[in-house]
Amino acid sequence: MLRVEGLSHAFKNGSEITLVLQQIDIHVGKGEMIALLGSSGSGKSTLLNLMAGLMKPTEGNIYIAGHNIVKMNENKLAEFRRKHIGFIFQAYELLPNLTVRENIEMPLVFQSVRPSIRKQKSMQLLEQVGIPDKAEMFPSQLSGGQQQRVSIARSLITEPSVIFADEPTGNLDTKTEEEILAILKRLNRTMNTTFIIVTHEREIAEQTEQIITLRDGRLETSGDSTSNEPSSSAATPTAMETEEVQA
Amino acid sequence: MRISDLTRLSWDQVRRRKVVTMLCAAGLSIGCAAIILAMSIGESTQKIVESELNSFLKMDEITVMADSGALPGQGDTSDVSEETRNRGLLTEQKLEIMRNLNHVQAVAPFQTLNYFEMVTADGKRAYGEVIATDLSRLEDFGEKFGQGHADNTDPTAVVLSYGATMGWMDDETRNKLYQAMERSSYDASSQEQYRKIMAVPTPMYQAYIQFNNNDEGKQRISSPLRVAAVLKKPKGRSDESIAQDRKIYVSLETAQQLRRELYANVTESNTTTFNSVKVKVDDELNVKQVEEQLKRLTVSTSSNLLQKERLEEQFAVFKAIAIGAGVFILIIASISIIVAMTMSTYQRRRQIGIMKVLGANLSQIRNMFIIEAALLGLLGGMLGILFSYWIVWGINALIVSLNNGESDISIFIPYTAIPVGLGFAVMTGIISGIYPAISASRTDALTAIKRD
Repeated sequence: MLRVEGLSHAFKNGSEITLVLQQIDIHVGKGEMIALLGSSGSGKSTLLNLMAGLMKPTEGNIYIAGHNIVKMNENKLAEFRRKHIGFIFQAYELLPNLTVRENIEMPLVFQSVRPSIRKQKSMQLLEQVGIPDKAEMFPSQLSGGQQQRVSIARSLITEPSVIFADEPTGNLDTKTEEEILAILKRLNRTMNTTFIIVTHEREIAEQTEQIITLRDGRLETSGDSTSNEPSSSAATPTAMETEEVQA
Repeated sequence: MRISDLTRLSWDQVRRRKVVTMLCAAGLSIGCAAIILAMSIGESTQKIVESELNSFLKMDEITVMADSGALPGQGDTSDVSEETRNRGLLTEQKLEIMRNLNHVQAVAPFQTLNYFEMVTADGKRAYGEVIATDLSRLEDFGEKFGQGHADNTDPTAVVLSYGATMGWMDDETRNKLYQAMERSSYDASSQEQYRKIMAVPTPMYQAYIQFNNNDEGKQRISSPLRVAAVLKKPKGRSDESIAQDRKIYVSLETAQQLRRELYANVTESNTTTFNSVKVKVDDELNVKQVEEQLKRLTVSTSSNLLQKERLEEQFAVFKAIAIGAGVFILIIASISIIVAMTMSTYQRRRQIGIMKVLGANLSQIRNMFIIEAALLGLLGGMLGILFSYWIVWGINALIVSLNNGESDISIFIPYTAIPVGLGFAVMTGIISGIYPAISASRTDALTAIKRD
């Protein structure tokens, strides 16, 4: 599903070159939910942006659903993102002047999908994230947790191959955090969509099947991860996976 | 992206960003109103001048004269053979052919006899131009009877134009007036008084008049003729201008009689020929075509189209200058749109970034901004139309108040000015929106959604 090969990225600041990512190799299978764990400055956000096609890497290739997104131009990437990639942001990033339903439908608007179909899909997703009664409200009328549910519904409306969630619970209290993670896990199971969650909190990362840890722009290898033959290379099996294996 | 979605999203921005909308619409509305006003004033002035011109020179009439056979620019017809001259004569037969031509409404001779002095039974005198015509056709040529009616049955009947009823006075009054003018020849008030007296109408309907002529040193006077009708006072002209237009229409038969009475030598001809005939055409637009057909009858023609064309040329220049001024204002307005929209683009970088992350491509972002600019143009244009109606209403109210409550002159907004004004406003909106749209579409999604 998602394959990263020999990925390196450097920022140029005047004459100074800062190497942010070095020789990253990742492989994530379809329907997997993995966490990209790292402290601030570890390069996890840069890696996410590169995998989502929002930045071009200095070196290496990124394959999503068999397509090398590194070779695509901006318009091709936009089209690709529309069909294959979903986003969940830490600050939800909903458009304030649109209603909840219109926000969810936005990716389909860019695909010229008929309004009746858009409405049907968005209402289904609102049911799935548990806020069907908020469809005609504006984001400002919702709580943080509800806004994140809208963001999740929006990321799923195009039935993407992979969803990137950047600190999805970063702005939420513990109780809401648990609710959101539960929704993500349920959707991952029921919809068989690949989820890549970027976080700096180990507790959240441990809720996923696999953890990819980044430190100073490099992947942290773990002996345990390979012994369990995970589909995600350089990954550590988590409590969630262990539970599932035992079950 | 569907047009309905593009429009809805753009309209939403126009509605929400009130300051930007107000700024842009205000600039565009001024430009649009300037164009509409320029066209309206140009068109209205042209119509006013044309109608003034029409009252003197009728645009739908062609004057046909006998073709003397002389080469153009040469008045001398002595070299022209008799046969050539005869071929160019205006005969009754030719008039009949003219009447049957396409688009011809009426044909009648209008032959000027001369300017004669007229005298009434009570000794009042005035001057006028005697024109021989078919009296029953006068109405076909746009003349309207104010009092009475006339046809060719009564050989003593004459028809006076309204101007010919003005300025009648007895010898004593006239002499006093002349003396007063001679005493103070530089006094403007006595000149003014004379002009005013010359414009005072006298009741002439059913009065009897005689014509005087001094021919070969002998004073000749015609038999009395009855004023069977007086034409209506022409509209839209001053009394002083009407007083200059002094015509006495007589039938062809009466004209022949007047010739015999007022001139010593009159050559009688066996065939009826005319020296001047007027042809009334159903529409101004067909004048040229009819004129060409008439020329085939070996006659010379003249119409007032040339004057009209000249007038139109002059007004085209005036209108072009006025529209140019309007366009200039629009260009100035467009700068305000570019600034306001670029500002708005910058403020909306985050929103654009989110849209890009959600899959909007360059052209979709660009189109959203261009449609927004077009909507601003439309809004400004509609506002401009409203403004121009108010301004025209204000100008007309001012004209009326300056003319003591009544005026034939008024400015109107031609229907063509509205789509032109609106079109210019929308086009300016779109053109001004291009740069902000391109700049918006180039917003880097990543930079835009990054938290500060």
